[in-house]
Amino acid sequence: MIRPLRFAVFPLLLACSSDELSPSWRIDRLRILAVAGDTVVTDGSAPTAEPRPGDTVQFRSLVVSPDPVGAVVWFACASAGSYGCDIDSADLSALSDGSMDTLTPEEQLALFAELQAAGLIGVEPFLPPSYTVPDDYLTSLTEAQRTEGTPIIVNLTAIPDEADVAEADLEIAFKRLPVSEALTPNHNPVITGLRVEGIDLAPGATLTVVPGYPYEIEPILSEGSVEDYTYVNQDGNAEARTEEPYFNWYTKHGSFFQEYSLYPNTSATWYAPAEPPAETDTLWVVVRDRRGGMGWYTLDLRYSL
Amino acid sequence: MILALCLSIGLAAAASPEEPPPLVKEPALVTFVDAPYPEAAQAAGLEGKVLLAIEIDATGKVAAVTVERAAGYGFDEAAVEAAKQFIFSPAEDTTGPVPVIIEFEYGFVLDVTTRPDAVSAPTSGEPPAPIPTEAPINLEGELREMGTRRPLAAFTLRVSQRGPDGSEVFVAEVETDAQGRYALRGAPPGQLTIRVVRPGYDTLEQQVEVVTGDATDARLWVKNLAYGDVGVVGSYRRETTEITRRTITMEEVRRIPGTFGDPIRVVQSMPGAARSPFGSGLLIIRGSNPQDTGVYVDGIRIPYIYHLGGYESVINPDIVGAVDYLPGGFGVQYGRSTGGAVDARTVEEFPERNKIIASADILDAGAMYSGRLGDRGQHQVGLAARRSYIDLFIPLFISDPELVVKPYWWDYQGKYIYEPKGDHRFSLLVFGFQDILEASTPASTAQGTDTSTQGDLATIYQTHRIVASWEWEFKERWKLDTLFATGRDTASFLLGNDWRLYQGQWVAEVRVDVPYEHNEHFKLVPGIDFLGLIADYTIELPFDPSSLAETDPLAEREPYTLAGDQNAWSPDPYVFAEIRPLEDEERLLISPGLRLSTVIVPGELFSYDWDPRFATRFLVVPKTTVKGSVGLYHQTPQPYQAYRPDDEPIELKLERSLSYTLGFEQELGQAVRADGEVFYKSLSHLIVPNPNFTGLEDEYFLNDGVGRAYGLEVLVRRQSVGRFFGWISYTLSRSERRDYLEEDWYDFDFDQTHILVALAGYKLPRDFQLGGRLQYATGNPTTPYSLGVYDIDTDSYNAFSTGSRNSERLPPYWTVHLRAEKLFTFRAWQLLVYTDLLNVLRGTNPEFEVYNYDYTEHSYIRGLPFIPSLGVEARFEF
Repeated sequence: MIRPLRFAVFPLLLACSSDELSPSWRIDRLRILAVAGDTVVTDGSAPTAEPRPGDTVQFRSLVVSPDPVGAVVWFACASAGSYGCDIDSADLSALSDGSMDTLTPEEQLALFAELQAAGLIGVEPFLPPSYTVPDDYLTSLTEAQRTEGTPIIVNLTAIPDEADVAEADLEIAFKRLPVSEALTPNHNPVITGLRVEGIDLAPGATLTVVPGYPYEIEPILSEGSVEDYTYVNQDGNAEARTEEPYFNWYTKHGSFFQEYSLYPNTSATWYAPAEPPAETDTLWVVVRDRRGGMGWYTLDLRYSL
Repeated sequence: MILALCLSIGLAAAASPEEPPPLVKEPALVTFVDAPYPEAAQAAGLEGKVLLAIEIDATGKVAAVTVERAAGYGFDEAAVEAAKQFIFSPAEDTTGPVPVIIEFEYGFVLDVTTRPDAVSAPTSGEPPAPIPTEAPINLEGELREMGTRRPLAAFTLRVSQRGPDGSEVFVAEVETDAQGRYALRGAPPGQLTIRVVRPGYDTLEQQVEVVTGDATDARLWVKNLAYGDVGVVGSYRRETTEITRRTITMEEVRRIPGTFGDPIRVVQSMPGAARSPFGSGLLIIRGSNPQDTGVYVDGIRIPYIYHLGGYESVINPDIVGAVDYLPGGFGVQYGRSTGGAVDARTVEEFPERNKIIASADILDAGAMYSGRLGDRGQHQVGLAARRSYIDLFIPLFISDPELVVKPYWWDYQGKYIYEPKGDHRFSLLVFGFQDILEASTPASTAQGTDTSTQGDLATIYQTHRIVASWEWEFKERWKLDTLFATGRDTASFLLGNDWRLYQGQWVAEVRVDVPYEHNEHFKLVPGIDFLGLIADYTIELPFDPSSLAETDPLAEREPYTLAGDQNAWSPDPYVFAEIRPLEDEERLLISPGLRLSTVIVPGELFSYDWDPRFATRFLVVPKTTVKGSVGLYHQTPQPYQAYRPDDEPIELKLERSLSYTLGFEQELGQAVRADGEVFYKSLSHLIVPNPNFTGLEDEYFLNDGVGRAYGLEVLVRRQSVGRFFGWISYTLSRSERRDYLEEDWYDFDFDQTHILVALAGYKLPRDFQLGGRLQYATGNPTTPYSLGVYDIDTDSYNAFSTGSRNSERLPPYWTVHLRAEKLFTFRAWQLLVYTDLLNVLRGTNPEFEVYNYDYTEHSYIRGLPFIPSLGVEARFEF
């Protein structure tokens, strides 16, 4: 018998809205918004977001918070579970609760060695995250699988700059770093600027906004950010494909009509708050190319009186 | 002269341990007896009304009369003595003539000629001159009932005229014939008064002008004082093997707020039925999954019983004759379900006169025609159709013309009944329904970040059936009941350009019963319940579900298409007996039965099991019955559970329920009944996903799940006799599951510890009615979550539960609905206007728990707020 799965959608259309929950675009606590990895190149070629075995990758992140950020701890593991490295939470606690300062230099070195064995690859702002893909990472795969690749899981934990840090105060995230022998390896997309109400802003410019007004903001991608690439399908045939990136929008104040936009309708409408905040304001946009590549842009805002 | 005015205002089942099935024929007063007006009351100029309870036996004779509401002054004794001499045509249910109890208001009204202020009496003026028999007919016409246009036969018309001194002078009495026509010869010229006084009808006084040499033709209309009081429509299953059944009148159904006049929705106010989540229309019976309860129309299984949103059933209420609600302990005729069963049975007899009903409310509009053809009325026909129009109103509330939300449904029913002379009866039922939900957004508005989900959304469900039945008493004590149904179900889901799921199936269902009634102490019913499905399906996805690599959100996807067909067969034979060993055969019923439950999916799945069941009822003392049942119930796997794309055998057994019930029924007085029952169900072989599934070669599902449900149900009910009806239904229950042996038990997803429904209806004068319904239910279980871990590649947080499964609950649910209605009666038709006020006190209730993006906050999606609803229904008879 056919069963009435149909009802799954209808109630949601008819139901009253829920009590207001904090939306994902509002930056009111410590957040990791984006991570990008770039291969280290020495031959002058463009770094890729999709390393080959043996490549070294340097990571960068977009970590935002209304309050100061203490540190961002990075791990990466070649043989990881679904959520990444198997990390001893006690070791992480030592980094976040201030007990590191009570350790002797020898104990600190021992702890550091233990963390490195667990996959530690960086502690920002002290140790920039960097990871070298094992040479044999893809050897057990077929040629087709090596071409398509398989990811390494990278874990991040952002720690607020506070004396007593509770587990709920941490921001824990993970990202897949695709490793492959792809014919057309992926590159991170680049947002070069923003177009507000049809006018291109100068890089690094601060936007002056009128409280309560809506602004249509469009990200400007660098040439080549929307890549054409080759995919070898399950039948072994090569297919030419083009990336379909999407954008996530964030801000501290005001609101978005919707917090994401899809290529080619990339613009978003941001409503400036009716009451301008006392502090400075910022707007972030993050682009994902759906192949593991990411980029972002930060816009400072000023409110007209 | 003294007039006695009587008013029949209600009908109740006769006091018997077992409640009767729906009546197919109401008792009608054939012989009315005038009570002598008490002299003292007459002398004092007093009038009065006595409310009587009249027990009518199966022959139509009055067996007993009791006073329910006394009037004093000698009225009570006079009314009782007169009522004892009444003669009725017997009431009938599907088994034949049955005893019933009616309430009857016997009114004593002083005639105008006997009132103290009367100016004259027929005997006080000049006696009327005898009318010569050869005089021509010069006053004639017909008498009809207002609203229904029904000709009123055997009604007495009293014709009088004002004398020269202004006094009322009796002219003649004349009685209407079978067509409601009357004729008077030699009526004196001038203005005459025609008066009609009849129990159950408004008194009519009509002035007519008779002109010398001309014939006056006057059509007269009188208003019935109790339209539609006695239509019995809903019941718990009548089958004698069922130990729990109740009767709901259509009048009650209409008066229950929030049901939109739908008898099938009343099921959700019954004991054992959990509150359905908002907008879902799910039937959750005695702690069972919604898919564990079978829904039927005339015994034919259908995919779902409610239209989109769960507000109305898929069958027009006007063509529903009865609703069988079987929460558990039911007989072997029903199978393939470990939960309950709900069977909407269409009317078994259409009225003799043509009837059209047209109705409209905030959801939909519909119409129904019923009538009879043939010289004996042997061809009975009913046709009905409805269409919702929510989709037409929604755009009025949406400012963006590019945003489209169009939910709508339609349904149709047609029934033909043919009763030739002899022992045959044929019927043909055709019905179908469709539910569609379409939604689309402007092209610039993203629906999530997945490109595959961009575009329109549509779900379409459609069912059509044709059902033929034949009943034949082919031999003394033997009967043949056959039913054949076929039709097609389709379901499709479309999302964007890349998601398309479609399933269609041809259905064939055959039921054959061959009851043998040896005598009143023993009956044997062998039968078979055959179900066959030929299904075809198409699945189009933007990814290949067989490629585990594509579960990586960064992996490239390849479109996937799967199409095929699948057959399934379930020929289930059964036999049951009804044994009544005592001399008074109504006192003890023992009913053992056995069913063979089967499922055959050629090449993939073959499974069967035996369902022995036993039920009994015992009338311990008058008005007190105890009842109990024990039985095994098996349920076939869902289609998706009985499917493998590689056509390899599936090692699945039928899901099993071992059910026990024990209860009582107690008559508490006139039309008041209490009914209590405890139940326990042990569930085993429940089908759960294979936790060790790693590849397509593994079994997808296992029979590792177990469960248990137990509880107490109580119903105290005042039937619709007189102005008031109502009931209180309370269920205390617990339903639990354990999916895998090594896991803990958890509360079933829809477990509701307390479910209370209290409802009442009250009739006011002038055809006004009021009703109210209160419902309280414990909130559904939920699983708490927190500590989201951010997946940077998909921009989503993965939640981790902070408690065991279903370890918390939603807040309690409670709501109050009110209803008011007024029936307007015109000469040729009637108009019912009603308003349902939903959620009048509290407004919204938490229905679903939702979390914010990172699971650090949670809140609720709430149900509908206060909603006033307006509806109208027009009725025509001709």
